[in-house]
Amino acid sequence: MRNISLLFKQFSRSVLLIAGLTALSFAAHAQGDKAKGEALYKAKCTACHKLDQRSTGPALGPIMTSETDDKWLTKWIQNNQALIAAKDPKALKVYNEYNQAGMTVFTELSDGDVANIITYVREEWKVMQEKPKGGAATGEVADSGPSSSMVFALIGIIIVAFIVILVLNRAIGTLERLLLNRKDLLPAEEVTDVVAVDRFATFRRLIKNKKLVFFVVLAGVVAFGSWNWVTMWNTGVQQGYQPVQPIAYSHELHAGVMKINCQYCHGGAYKSKNATIPSLNVCMNCHKVVKTESPEIQKIYTALGYDPGTQKYDTTKARPIQWVRIHNLPDLAYFNHSQHVKVAGLECQNCHGPIQTMKEVYQYSPLTMKWCIQCHKRTNINGLGNAYYDNMLEVHEKLKKGEKVTAAMMGGLECAKCHY
Amino acid sequence: MESNKKYWKGLEELNNTPEFVELNKHEFAEPVPIEEVLSGTGLTGKTPRRNFLKSVGFGIGAVSLAACQRAPVHKSIPYLIKPEEVTPGVANFYVSSFEGQAILVKTREGRPIKIEGNPGDLFGQGGISSQAQASLLGLYDTSRLKGPMQDGGDTGWNPLDSFVKAELAAIKASGKQIRLVTNSINSPSTLGVIAAFAAEYPTTKHVTYDAVSYTGIIQANQNSFGKAVLPHYRFDKADIIVSFGADFLGSWISHSEFTRQYVTKRNEAAVKSGKMSRHIQFESGMSLTGSNADVRIPIKVSQEGLALVNLYNEITGTTLPGSKKLGNNIADNAIMLAAKQLAAAKGRAVVVSGSNDVAVQILVNAINSALGSYGNTIDLDNPSYQYKGNDADLVALVEEMKRGDVGAVFFLDANPVYNYYQSSAFADALKKVRLRVSFAPYNDETAAACNIVAPTHHFLESWGDENAVEGFYTLIQPTINPVYDTRKAEQSLLVWSNNAVKDYYTFVRNTWNNGILAKGGLAGQNGWDTLLQNGFIKVAEKPATPVTFSRDLNAVAQTILAQGNKLTGGEGKLELQVYENTSVGDGKYANNPWLQELPEAVSKVTWDNFAAIAPKTAEELKLEEGDLIKITANGYSTELPVLLQPGQAQGTVSVALGYGRTKAGKVGDGVGKNAYPFLVLTNGTFQGNAVATIEALGGDKVVLAQTQTHGSYEGRDIIRETTLQEYLKKSEEKEHGHGEHEKKQTYDLWEAYDRPQYDWVMAIDLNACTGCGACVVACNVENNIPVVGRDEVRRRREMHWIRIDRYYSFDEKGKTVTEEKEIDKLEDLDHVSVTYQPMLCQHCDHAPCETVCPVLATTHSSEGLNQMTYNRCVGTRYCANNCPYKVRRFNWFNYWNDSRFENYLQNDYTELVLNPDVTTRFRGVMEKCSMCVQRIQAGKLNAKLQKRSLNDGDIKMACQQTCSANAIIFGNKNDPNSEVSKALKSDRTYYVLEELNVQPGIGYQTKVRNRLTTEA
Repeated sequence: MRNISLLFKQFSRSVLLIAGLTALSFAAHAQGDKAKGEALYKAKCTACHKLDQRSTGPALGPIMTSETDDKWLTKWIQNNQALIAAKDPKALKVYNEYNQAGMTVFTELSDGDVANIITYVREEWKVMQEKPKGGAATGEVADSGPSSSMVFALIGIIIVAFIVILVLNRAIGTLERLLLNRKDLLPAEEVTDVVAVDRFATFRRLIKNKKLVFFVVLAGVVAFGSWNWVTMWNTGVQQGYQPVQPIAYSHELHAGVMKINCQYCHGGAYKSKNATIPSLNVCMNCHKVVKTESPEIQKIYTALGYDPGTQKYDTTKARPIQWVRIHNLPDLAYFNHSQHVKVAGLECQNCHGPIQTMKEVYQYSPLTMKWCIQCHKRTNINGLGNAYYDNMLEVHEKLKKGEKVTAAMMGGLECAKCHY
Repeated sequence: MESNKKYWKGLEELNNTPEFVELNKHEFAEPVPIEEVLSGTGLTGKTPRRNFLKSVGFGIGAVSLAACQRAPVHKSIPYLIKPEEVTPGVANFYVSSFEGQAILVKTREGRPIKIEGNPGDLFGQGGISSQAQASLLGLYDTSRLKGPMQDGGDTGWNPLDSFVKAELAAIKASGKQIRLVTNSINSPSTLGVIAAFAAEYPTTKHVTYDAVSYTGIIQANQNSFGKAVLPHYRFDKADIIVSFGADFLGSWISHSEFTRQYVTKRNEAAVKSGKMSRHIQFESGMSLTGSNADVRIPIKVSQEGLALVNLYNEITGTTLPGSKKLGNNIADNAIMLAAKQLAAAKGRAVVVSGSNDVAVQILVNAINSALGSYGNTIDLDNPSYQYKGNDADLVALVEEMKRGDVGAVFFLDANPVYNYYQSSAFADALKKVRLRVSFAPYNDETAAACNIVAPTHHFLESWGDENAVEGFYTLIQPTINPVYDTRKAEQSLLVWSNNAVKDYYTFVRNTWNNGILAKGGLAGQNGWDTLLQNGFIKVAEKPATPVTFSRDLNAVAQTILAQGNKLTGGEGKLELQVYENTSVGDGKYANNPWLQELPEAVSKVTWDNFAAIAPKTAEELKLEEGDLIKITANGYSTELPVLLQPGQAQGTVSVALGYGRTKAGKVGDGVGKNAYPFLVLTNGTFQGNAVATIEALGGDKVVLAQTQTHGSYEGRDIIRETTLQEYLKKSEEKEHGHGEHEKKQTYDLWEAYDRPQYDWVMAIDLNACTGCGACVVACNVENNIPVVGRDEVRRRREMHWIRIDRYYSFDEKGKTVTEEKEIDKLEDLDHVSVTYQPMLCQHCDHAPCETVCPVLATTHSSEGLNQMTYNRCVGTRYCANNCPYKVRRFNWFNYWNDSRFENYLQNDYTELVLNPDVTTRFRGVMEKCSMCVQRIQAGKLNAKLQKRSLNDGDIKMACQQTCSANAIIFGNKNDPNSEVSKALKSDRTYYVLEELNVQPGIGYQTKVRNRLTTEA
């Protein structure tokens, strides 16, 4: 199913892309300046600026619309450092407002290029402002609409059905009373008797077949027994556990599509027993500027007490995020990530499954002792190139010969390797 | 070196009392009443049908309900912004300092979980005392004050500051006196703060006193050499040590440092070369030091002075007026021999006395001066600042307060209402003071008598510094945010004295920048950063300046002898001696359950103090062990249970200080009886000797929670000891090839285990071990061992994985007692010699416990470890029954979730001290020493991560690490060059109960005594 949905997604994405490109090309024909400006804007400006929001730099829409002195704007965009050096009052004001973080110098842009950018920004900003704000909102309502209206509709139907049942009951009651009053309307009872006798007869005949009875009982016992067996073995095994997390973080997007290395967030896996859930400053490395408008990212800001408008942290409002732990080893078992990831060189996917395709993480492995032991019996140690094993003569010899040395042979099945 | 000497742990074992025999028949003192059930109505009794159905129904219902639970939801809460140096799951170590000793604090996720010694430390060189180990628990103590208090009610810091400032201003205007009462302070910064406070309020005087005072030594040095200091003793330079009641290995001045020094003259190298020191102890009560001595002579309290006079006479050949013999042949003979030995080892000898009497200490100075000890074994030029108290100052303060001269008094790390000898007089005088401020972290006896309590931080929460010995400076740095709403006392003083420096951290940095850093060749920010790495600054020792002793000793001798006469007990009276023990100390740590449950080194009593009396004296007084007696001396009387202490001088009684706290906290309140009121002010100093009347109270006997005979060896050969002469003779014979061959042929029923890489073993040197018990506490901290409390210890259910067994044996004029019949003939038990043996799981290769476990919960590893798997254990306790060493411990309760044990480690705060790498054990499972397997695993992983082989010494056991004596060595036996392999090659090595062929993994080195030869 996951594959099919992935295929569908890819298909729909390409369709959307083509549609978007066509639309763009149409637009290009209509307004030459704006289109060039847009291309430049996207290439040069979006790293630090947004039209409607303060990012690293100011929101360009309002500032470029209110600033009518195009010459000054051009100078600023081409070489803001020169303006600051010349102690231009306007330039200094902006410079100081943004903590004296100088803007990149774009001397390669011609006056025409800059004019194109300015045109694009102003017109696009106008379009954005004219667009009724409710538009997006209604869209969202429409998206989530079905669920709530469906609920109402369902409740309505249930109520109507209930009323119908009540009315029908009433009708049946009236009819029964009528029947009782007029016995001649009742049909002869013999017919039903015959049917009942026939049915019991078949059953009796079957019951007399001892082989059949034996087979049925045996099947029952086997079925019940195996069900019990399976259930008991799986008591406390939470394979597939997929709790709802406070933030809809997608490993599919980050680890799969973006191909961010696991270590970027779970650095602990390489040096500690804990893989560590990243602290929020790791998220903020990117999400200070990426997808700031997403309600999920807003949750990070709330947790940190961060105000994207002013880019300030208010630690008094900070409330840590309480993730729901998915992989719960019992306290009696000691597990160390670094031993497995750094020393043994295992991939995260060995235990955590296809994490790069998981929109929501679920427990992929059973995490039972049997599962640990099996792997310890089957997996060869990653001994070559690690001087730790040089001293272990026997092991070292085997490794040199290319023979198999499993974790179990290194004492990996002994109790006190994990239980203390 | 096998001997057929009889060793015994307690008098009940020696006399084989019926109770002892009965209790030792079974592995567990209180057996499960299974036989009662079987023989009584147990199985034949009828259960009514309805009851049966009810319980079956309830059982099924409960089980199904419990099984219905899906995955319990656990929350994972990451840091909001992770500090760069913290990786969850990896411990960080920070340097700090405990009582002047450089330490390392192990923290996990920002909370301190263990204290370890700093290998560069001047005192223990990595070893620390049991108190230092246990001090960690004070951080999470729920009895600590949660915030400042005024007049017994809670208040905030701001109203408190304005109140105190207003009061101080008024007192300053009125010209009344201000007194700051503290324990000895050697912190340069704290002294700076106090000086700044005194500058702002000129009537301030700093009164220093110590609960257990050393004023006698300090004033004697002032008198003899014009230097009012406590010298720095160097037992590592002494070939002959004669101590008169100074417990320098247990509690005296700098005991963990002295232990390290002492053992350098008694370890393998010293024994092998035949250059072992000789230690002679004269004392009345059996102290830890006395029990370690080569020769221990019990003398009465009143005779200590006279003995010193005689020693002086013997050494110098003069006769001080009034001197006479002790009238005790053994003692007189020993003094004569000791004098000879001392005189023969001039410059390599030291004489110390535990007395706090100025005259006695002057005489000791005279003896040491005659022996040329100054500049060699006693260093006056690099003195110790550990104790600076002046008893007279405190007495003067009480007078001042009585007169109403004092307007304000501040108590910092001082609790005189508890430990002043006339505590009620102190409390009454204190009432006349207008402003009474205590900085105590607890609402202790003194704090309760104050109108302001401004609780200070625990040392792990604060900045600070210490300078315990001249030229050795240590830094204290915070390792956690304050747990409660407390404030460093120095910070409060800075605020109240309107200091320009607003916070104490800046003050400390300024102090170090202005002088101390430069002493270590450091400067600026870089210097400070280096200091934060190293934790201390050590300045080269000052060279010795020659001192001469030229006082007239006639008057001194007169005083000493007069004092001795005064202390001589008459008919029905005993000579009382109060002392400080090794676990609870002076009472400051009375609220620490780890220390309360640590068996006192000699008596092995936990959770109580007692009246130690010689068995012979007890017989004369018709007293038995556990009888309650009333001791009256110096107008104070208290009731204590009797403990028959072999080795105690006849006619004396010893009582430990530090007990009987009334406001210590949940743990320490009402444990034992207070002995401080027995102190007396004699010749200007507090002294712990008096003549006491004893009155038997009758009634029920008190059962002390004494661990000494828990787990009996049924008289098997456990301890081996020899004398230095014998040892040297034997090893010489061996070298020449005609010694006996001790190699024995062994036969195995089982195949040998394969140990391809590691064979973890231990070597324990009985000659180095002093029995101090620091390892026990270190093990408790490392392995999350529960504290069970007095009642459970009485039931023999203490949980310690390592214990120090203490064995007595007779030592009667060179004869050894070989047969039990002879023991009966012996009249007194004065001359016993003591051997300590740390006992822990021996990790036997043919472990008897492994073969009897029905569920394979205890198995053998390929690294020579005997592994205990808690989650597999079903609690049959067969293993404990089958263990010949009696080292397995059973969890009788769920100590971590049972309201009966809440006072100890089990509450929301205190549980933060647990080691997250070790599981807490549940009710019904067996546990025992795991050979710190978490440390072994971590050490191996660390080597793997760094892609290098594991080096010897990378892994250290918790017990080994804390041992100042370096008595425990752990390592890989497969590596012939490892320390442990070398140690085990010693010809002193033997294995306990090796005749059982259980092949234990822990080798012990025979105890060697450097006996006096009796030819003189």
